[in-house]
Amino acid sequence: MMNNPNHVSFVLDGKTVNLNFADSKYKPTTTLLQYLRDLPGHKSVKEGCAEGDCGACTVVMGELKNDKIQYRAYDSCLIFLPAVHGKQIITAENLGNSENLHPVQQAMHDYDGSQCGFCTPGFVMSIFALYKQEEKPDKEEITNALSGNLCRCTGYRPIIEAAESSIKNRHEDHFCKCEDIIASLLKKINTKDTIEIITEKQKYFIPFTKKEALSLRKQFPNALLIAGSTDIALRVTKRHEFLPEIIDLSHIRELDCFNINKDKAFIGSNYSLEDLRNSSKSVFPALNNILNIFGSRQIRNRACLGGNIGSASPIGDSIPVLMAYDAEVVLESVETKRTIKLREFITGYRQTQCKPSEIITEIIVPIPKSDILIKSYKVSKRKDLDISTVSACFSLKLNENKVEDIAIFYGGMSAFTKRAVKTEEILKGKTWNRKNIEIAMKYITEDYKPISDARAGFKVREIMAANLLMKFWVETNQVYKH
Amino acid sequence: MTNINHESGKFHVTGEAIYIDDMQMPDRLLHGFVYVSPHAHAKIKSFDLEAAKSVKGVHAVLSFKDIPGHNQMGPVIQDEPVLAENEVQCVGQAMFLIAAENQEVADEAKKNIKVEYELLEPNLSIQDAIAKNSLLQPERKIENGDINKGFKQSAHIISGEFESGGQEHWYLETQICLAVPGEGKELKAYSSTQHPSETQAIIAEVLGIGKNDVEVECRRMGGAFGGKETQANHLAAWASLLATKTGRPVKLRLSRDEDQKITGKRHPYLYKYKVGFDAEGKILAADIQHYANGGYATDLTMAILERGMLHAENSYFIPNIRIVAKPMKTNLPSNVAFRGFGAPQGIFCIENIIDIIARCLNKDSAEIQYRNFYGIKENNTAPYGAKVENNRLYVLFEKLMKSSSYKSRRKEVNIFNKKNEFSKKGLAMTPVKFGISFTTAFLNQAGALVNIYSDGTILVNHGGTEMGQGLYTKIRKIAAAEFGVDIKSIKVNATNTSKVPNTSATAASSGTDLNGMAVKNAIEKLKARLIEFAAEQLSNIYGKIVKKNTIVFENDYVFDKKNPELKISFEELISKAYINQISLSATGFYRTPDIYFDRAAGKGNPFHYYAFGMAVSEVLVDILTGGVQVLRSDILHDVGESIIPNIDIGQIEGAFVQGMGWVTAEEMKYDKNGNLLNHSPDTYKIPSIQDIPQDFRVELLKGYPNPNTIRKSKAVGEPPFVLGLSVWFAIKDAIAAIKENKIEPNLKLPATNENILLAVSELSV
Repeated sequence: MMNNPNHVSFVLDGKTVNLNFADSKYKPTTTLLQYLRDLPGHKSVKEGCAEGDCGACTVVMGELKNDKIQYRAYDSCLIFLPAVHGKQIITAENLGNSENLHPVQQAMHDYDGSQCGFCTPGFVMSIFALYKQEEKPDKEEITNALSGNLCRCTGYRPIIEAAESSIKNRHEDHFCKCEDIIASLLKKINTKDTIEIITEKQKYFIPFTKKEALSLRKQFPNALLIAGSTDIALRVTKRHEFLPEIIDLSHIRELDCFNINKDKAFIGSNYSLEDLRNSSKSVFPALNNILNIFGSRQIRNRACLGGNIGSASPIGDSIPVLMAYDAEVVLESVETKRTIKLREFITGYRQTQCKPSEIITEIIVPIPKSDILIKSYKVSKRKDLDISTVSACFSLKLNENKVEDIAIFYGGMSAFTKRAVKTEEILKGKTWNRKNIEIAMKYITEDYKPISDARAGFKVREIMAANLLMKFWVETNQVYKH
Repeated sequence: MTNINHESGKFHVTGEAIYIDDMQMPDRLLHGFVYVSPHAHAKIKSFDLEAAKSVKGVHAVLSFKDIPGHNQMGPVIQDEPVLAENEVQCVGQAMFLIAAENQEVADEAKKNIKVEYELLEPNLSIQDAIAKNSLLQPERKIENGDINKGFKQSAHIISGEFESGGQEHWYLETQICLAVPGEGKELKAYSSTQHPSETQAIIAEVLGIGKNDVEVECRRMGGAFGGKETQANHLAAWASLLATKTGRPVKLRLSRDEDQKITGKRHPYLYKYKVGFDAEGKILAADIQHYANGGYATDLTMAILERGMLHAENSYFIPNIRIVAKPMKTNLPSNVAFRGFGAPQGIFCIENIIDIIARCLNKDSAEIQYRNFYGIKENNTAPYGAKVENNRLYVLFEKLMKSSSYKSRRKEVNIFNKKNEFSKKGLAMTPVKFGISFTTAFLNQAGALVNIYSDGTILVNHGGTEMGQGLYTKIRKIAAAEFGVDIKSIKVNATNTSKVPNTSATAASSGTDLNGMAVKNAIEKLKARLIEFAAEQLSNIYGKIVKKNTIVFENDYVFDKKNPELKISFEELISKAYINQISLSATGFYRTPDIYFDRAAGKGNPFHYYAFGMAVSEVLVDILTGGVQVLRSDILHDVGESIIPNIDIGQIEGAFVQGMGWVTAEEMKYDKNGNLLNHSPDTYKIPSIQDIPQDFRVELLKGYPNPNTIRKSKAVGEPPFVLGLSVWFAIKDAIAAIKENKIEPNLKLPATNENILLAVSELSV
């Protein structure tokens, strides 16, 4: 059975909204931000940058997970409207009004969390998502979750205090009371049958199964694949591009998974980077380290691993790390299924071996043996919510303090993530000491010819890359001393 | 003094606060768009707008030829056209305006605009401009003593040059104006402006109509920081032109990228200096040159330059000094006001000179700073001839050095640095002495209109604007205190040129000083009328004689101080006053007394008073990655008697973090054609929540009321911005530790990880 053609359904203001794109001023590439600002009652959602870098447009979406509603914060500027199908949208107006504030709003008010007030509803929503999450966050977790919201007035201290205080004193709010009603509304929304939105100029598909997705991929090989759309949305919001055909994979639950055995982790391509951050903590510390400072909470809630790999950006932060772990990529089409090493998957600037009929369905990451040390690094102008100037990941196996095997990957140093082959050669078989590291540092420029851009000059990229090798040595030294 | 939350706080947190883009838009609204120059410098040989005009959904495409009044929006000097005529002078300069039904239509229209250019050589840096002697206006000079004599007396003389970078305001709400045509030539503009009166004036001049036909209103801005002092005028002029031409309301809002590309920034500076000092580091002579990168038009550059010069000595008495400042003209967007208004640049220069002296003498900077502080009774004349009175430097120094444990932490930092090769700590103190008043003396005036309604509620109008700084909250508090009523009875109205005319910008940290006094003046007039009436009423009600001079207003009552039981509620008094035909509305006015400045002579008394502050910051620098963590910052700041302490602390913390941004990660990069490379927040990085000091201690100096100001308070908006410099000096201190503090590091401002690594690699060679 098909879903009602051209319709998507979601819950807003406690009611189910059925939006018909065939008969509406909204396009399938209208962003959630644009839609909400067009409504009379949701002006709290502000446009600060339209690229997911300021968080002024943060909303919370409620989604059914095991019959409970899971609340997460998102940048509404990066979400195409059809993608909210089956979800509950919550803005600051839904939390409370000036006569009756939600505890999060009350704390932001009482602690002077607002000055000009323009970023404030976005902060309120990010804190609200924390307020509703099961585990109580500590201070580090709070600031991590708020690093996607910029404030230019306060200097943040009162906002941190407001978040800490409201979360510390949290109690049942009106969302708890209405959760059953909202859950029943969400359950009624059809999330089984592919949604086809076909307007005069655009096609937008939302398949709910891998099988449907692959068949759409075969039928529309030129369609753009999106999941989190945290990258693709910028083509609409910043470059005002027209995107004629889109297949939105974000509703395929079977690709949103993380399974692990004693040798390997099998990560669905739709698995969000925030979920991966949490799942990778003990088993893949180098990956977890990078994900802690990858984008922001709002972006990680939406962006998925398949997307970060598939876009094959030279500054995609997960790529050097997953290459160091020697991850594999599973590609499927209607007829075929194949597995390629990530180290070979990326072939050029934003180019991969993925064929027009294929979709990345899974990423397989081997669990490193205990004698292999993997460490990741990211250098950026600002620690959080910044794109790498240079990133690196090293995988090292020592044998009696001699380098038995080493793999070195840098991001931001060339048109795509590449291995530092010559530097590795110099180190192989050598003693793992400072003298040899200093020799190897000079070989980085043999492996890479970085460029100058808005982030940094080429010269300093070379210094950073060489220094990261030294930093790795210093840290391994500390590890082995213990 | 008790804490009071921001008067709009409840509206901020719920989204009920209405910014211009949130207003209920009028019918037949059109969207305005600006077509800007793609070239830094070019002659416009010809242009053709016909194809653009014929795009469906386009309602107007305007060039300079369509301007009915003056094609000028320079606030002081008339060198900034509303729309380019024969020449474009920077990338992002406005050339044409489009009114369209939506963005898509406007994009299509832009593609159809045809322009033929003849490219000219641009000046893109201060050095380019110096080489070509390209100045916006003549240089300025302030001189005191005899520098040649001073240099002769000096045991040491150092000279050199260094620079500081620009800064993008990054207010969260981008520039916006909604222009609504009325009857005849009338126009009402809802503008996100710090200066409604000037916005009104520019609209009137551009449209060629009287100011009485133009009404400008601003309820609140989503941040401004100086960026909406003159630049809001541009949006307002553009939107008003389109509204007038189409006869329809026009909203013009810049996207973030447009805003960053089109609008001006903090002035980048080049400094050249020669300084002479004795063996103890006492400065005997300083010859300082400021070169400000003004961009292509003057805007407020001369006033910014002047404030830079008036802060060139910061907190220090320099007996022989010459300050020469040059406003360089370059082919970049005209640089504009930004919190501190040149003072941070002037102060950075002298603080860096002090730091260089300290390293030269192998002493701690704090020691050199202290040695050169202005004296209390002597050595207290500034280079421009004014006395530095009510000097708080010594009390701040003494208290802060103690509360921050400066000396013991200095030792700990040195020990840490000896033990660690790849991570270094740095510690630094920065003082600020900040002159309060517009240096253009006539601007130091303000007006107010206070209405009491017959139900006893009060509406306060004043000329100041709310950009988040809490001005409305302070005004509310001031009015409540003067009337002796609960703060809930007072509402502060949206700032509107039809309520209070001929106002000055809300700038120079002066919002509360000036408008608070004007409001007080209006209330005094109202109270004089009410006191007379109350005395009469109380005498009648209680049958006892109540004298005027014993009437007080307190706790929502008006009563006889001598017999407090002889009282009437404020509400009842007002109700009776109305019936008895007493006027319940009054205007107020204030002008700051006794300030003047002779620009030609470089002498005068430009400031009503000084605000003082001091900060100590400690950082940890990763020498391998250039990563910086601010471990701790202690700030002690002088706001006189705080009107609302939590609001003042909010200003201090916010200014400090913004200042920290200027000196660390905020950096403007241009390509060789004058295109700004980092025109969006993915590459332009303001501080985020994890960048602030891990341990952040902010205190107000207590027990030092300020004479002759509203409620004995001091201005607070800008001075603490300067304290962010302490982070830069701490980073430099950490880098210098690589060579045991013996070699002066060549660290640029901002200290990005790139600039840190370059400074480190230069030291290591």
